[in-house]
Amino acid sequence: MNTNLKTLLDEASLSGYKIQTQKTESYELFFVHRALETVRSTDTVTTYVTVYEDHDGKKGDASFSVYASTTDDEIRALIASAREKAKKIENQYYDLPAAETLDGAIPSNFTEYDPCDLASAMADAVFDADTYGNGSVNALEIFINRYTVSVVNSRGLDKREVKYGAVVEVIPTWNEGESVELYQCERFNRFDPAALKASVEEKMREVRDRGRATPPASPLKCPVVLGPHELASLFFDLAGELGYGGVYAHSNAYSLGDEVQKNCTGDKLTLTMRGSMEGSSASALFDGDGTTLTDTTVIENGVVSHYYGSHRFAQYLNLPATGQLRCLEANAGTCSRDDLARQPYFRCVSMSGLQVDIFNDYIGGEVRLAYYCDGDKTIPVTGISISGKLSEALSSLRLSRDVTCSGNYRGPDFALLNGIEIV
Amino acid sequence: MAFSEFLNSRRDDCKALIAELSAEFPYVSILGNHVRSSRIGADRRSSVMGEGNLSECGFVIKMHNGRAFFEYSLDDVTGDKKALASKIIASLRVSGAVADRMVSVPLPEDLPMVRSFARESDEGTYADADILAFCEEMRDEILSRDERILNCQVAAMPFTVSKLFLTANRELDQYYSWVNISTFLVLRDGEKMVQTYDGVYSHLMSEAKKAFPGIIPGLIHKAQRLVHAKPIVPGVYDVITDPSISGLIAHEAFGHGVEMDQFVKDRALAKQYVGKYVASPICNMRDGAASVLSTASYFFDDDGVLAHDTQIIKDGILVSGISDLASASELGTEPTGNGRRESYKRKSYARMTNTFFEAGKDKLEDMIASVKHGYMLFQTNNGMEDPKNWQIQCTAEYGIEIVDGKLTDNYVSPVVMSGYVPDLLKSISMVSDEFKIIGSGGCGKGYKEWVRVSDGGPALKVKVKLA
Repeated sequence: MNTNLKTLLDEASLSGYKIQTQKTESYELFFVHRALETVRSTDTVTTYVTVYEDHDGKKGDASFSVYASTTDDEIRALIASAREKAKKIENQYYDLPAAETLDGAIPSNFTEYDPCDLASAMADAVFDADTYGNGSVNALEIFINRYTVSVVNSRGLDKREVKYGAVVEVIPTWNEGESVELYQCERFNRFDPAALKASVEEKMREVRDRGRATPPASPLKCPVVLGPHELASLFFDLAGELGYGGVYAHSNAYSLGDEVQKNCTGDKLTLTMRGSMEGSSASALFDGDGTTLTDTTVIENGVVSHYYGSHRFAQYLNLPATGQLRCLEANAGTCSRDDLARQPYFRCVSMSGLQVDIFNDYIGGEVRLAYYCDGDKTIPVTGISISGKLSEALSSLRLSRDVTCSGNYRGPDFALLNGIEIV
Repeated sequence: MAFSEFLNSRRDDCKALIAELSAEFPYVSILGNHVRSSRIGADRRSSVMGEGNLSECGFVIKMHNGRAFFEYSLDDVTGDKKALASKIIASLRVSGAVADRMVSVPLPEDLPMVRSFARESDEGTYADADILAFCEEMRDEILSRDERILNCQVAAMPFTVSKLFLTANRELDQYYSWVNISTFLVLRDGEKMVQTYDGVYSHLMSEAKKAFPGIIPGLIHKAQRLVHAKPIVPGVYDVITDPSISGLIAHEAFGHGVEMDQFVKDRALAKQYVGKYVASPICNMRDGAASVLSTASYFFDDDGVLAHDTQIIKDGILVSGISDLASASELGTEPTGNGRRESYKRKSYARMTNTFFEAGKDKLEDMIASVKHGYMLFQTNNGMEDPKNWQIQCTAEYGIEIVDGKLTDNYVSPVVMSGYVPDLLKSISMVSDEFKIIGSGGCGKGYKEWVRVSDGGPALKVKVKLA
């Protein structure tokens, strides 16, 4: 942080201020097939200042950016302009977070590597899985990021944390007959070469199967199975309706005490929003206001149990400030792989994107690769869509016993849903 | 307001740094970005007047060492150029094993050009407080229309772009602005709650403000009808698309597949179809920052290539893709001015700009009258590309059932279109003579690299699977 910025803000005798800074250092590799096409590196700082003005029992705020090149005179002018704007804003009064200090870090084994060597090791792990004659990795992008994040406010709050994160985007392709591809994106802050290689190997097998997949010869009627990627999407959509901001604005679909799974015939769902999760690059110690993150169970046994959200809206609703939580954990269920194998099912492996519309009670999407098991043999299927009522799907939800971690999600490895049409 | 004084003050620094880096790299360019953006708005319970999420100020240096590309993003270029160049070179070190895998791409051309570009803008002629007052007035107007509206938000998001592009032989700068004013409302009718949105856009705040009141009646009517919307019975239907959905098809179903960096990676089926029929003979499609004036209109791209107006489909035949500097170098083609970055902190890729089907000759009423049973689809929700295999998923906010050639009062929501792209494009049997570009879109490449785009076109009559 520009130390002079804090001095200039202190001198301005404002009702309050907040300075958010993020320094990003990255090292990036871009491959076309197995060839390195572009090498990138970045070293940038983003600084946002929010100015607060209390007036007439209300609180107003206005924000502006400060760049490395912004002069002291320019900062003074920006502060004065923001103060005048803040006087025009008449939001319900709230206090800024109180004095608290922290200098922390999210654990990561990236600290053991030079970024250049780490990116190279990740590339090796991916290409080690590229061993098929008819298949290959057509494109690979690797991003290694180191973030230094800080929040300082006028009440004496001063927090800083260092976080790491990698994004590895892989495009596995299969060229047996019609050439086909799938999309894979891994996000993590703990590098495990064997796990990355295994994950790409699994995607290579799936893309091979997409190449062999055909649309079903006759209509399919059986339970639909979703994997961790789609389950994460569904559960984040449900939890997204329980944020303090949405509750305050009256735009939330669910309220405390609502049954998310009415007349439940499957496993009751419990969702917990978490501040950090081992291996997840979404992990953080505090949010953009500097509020310490507090894990919060938002749905317990199928019933909305708590909301969660920022310091400001927590005060409006007279609820505890949990901070903005970006990781999600879902409970395991009762369905084993053996249970699954005893019945016909349609297991979606790759979708264009799960479409969930809570307001219109809809769940569906286009399926690029699925496996249909008729109770005996399993065949790959493509060129098909699923659609159904979200409420019916949730009520019939059977969650797997096995739990997996993927990005900022930890929860069932699969879930079985009834009442979904396969068209 | 005009072109960024900050960027102007750094021209000589950029030239000196290019000279320093040229000792190591035969091609060096520097792009300076200074984007000012703000978000001003109000809903029923709170208001905001602050920095927009597009604001940024910094530089990205692109280099070519005779084989591959290297890029470095930084906040400023002042100070000791020799030391800065050494730091940049050190930070782009490549580990031994990976270095052996480097491609060999021809050096980009660096043709001489010195030009300044500017588009009419009214930035600086309006006060943020006046915009807030306008948003509050429009919010109150919308809330007064139906007591079932729980909340309504009206927000203006103006942004102004200054870009400076320099190489050893080229010096370009551009200045332009754009504004979106959007609204979002929540309406509850008994147990049913709906959310819906609409917006206006222009290169001038004054025009956007003038247009906004005109969308209010349609927004209210839509919300009132959507509370009665039902799910669609899945199946294959005759469908009429409104310009927003036509644009969604142009963009998601086909546009991503002609981004030529995907040709380089063998990730686009379209590569094999250049010169072949991919659509109905009455189908024509274009893309270009210079094609129309909308949110993705600029004078030169992030590689310093002048904006183009590219014909992609001509009378049903795929005639061209769109490219950035790197993909054009690798393919040995002319770049089409489609090199775009999410910000100076991100890589440049081949990206769409303003993408649309061209107008046809049919009257919309004749198109609707030709449908025995089907749907007219409205308003983009989202879409996902699949350039390798041409599967599509495009989601419309809602549809209205057509029975015996007439629009009914039966709404369905949401509606997901899926299928095989050439089947959809070859099914186009009528194209309306109306034409509209929707200037409020955003687009990712895969699941990242967000840039602002527009799309649109006429109404199309197609046959497609809905669910």
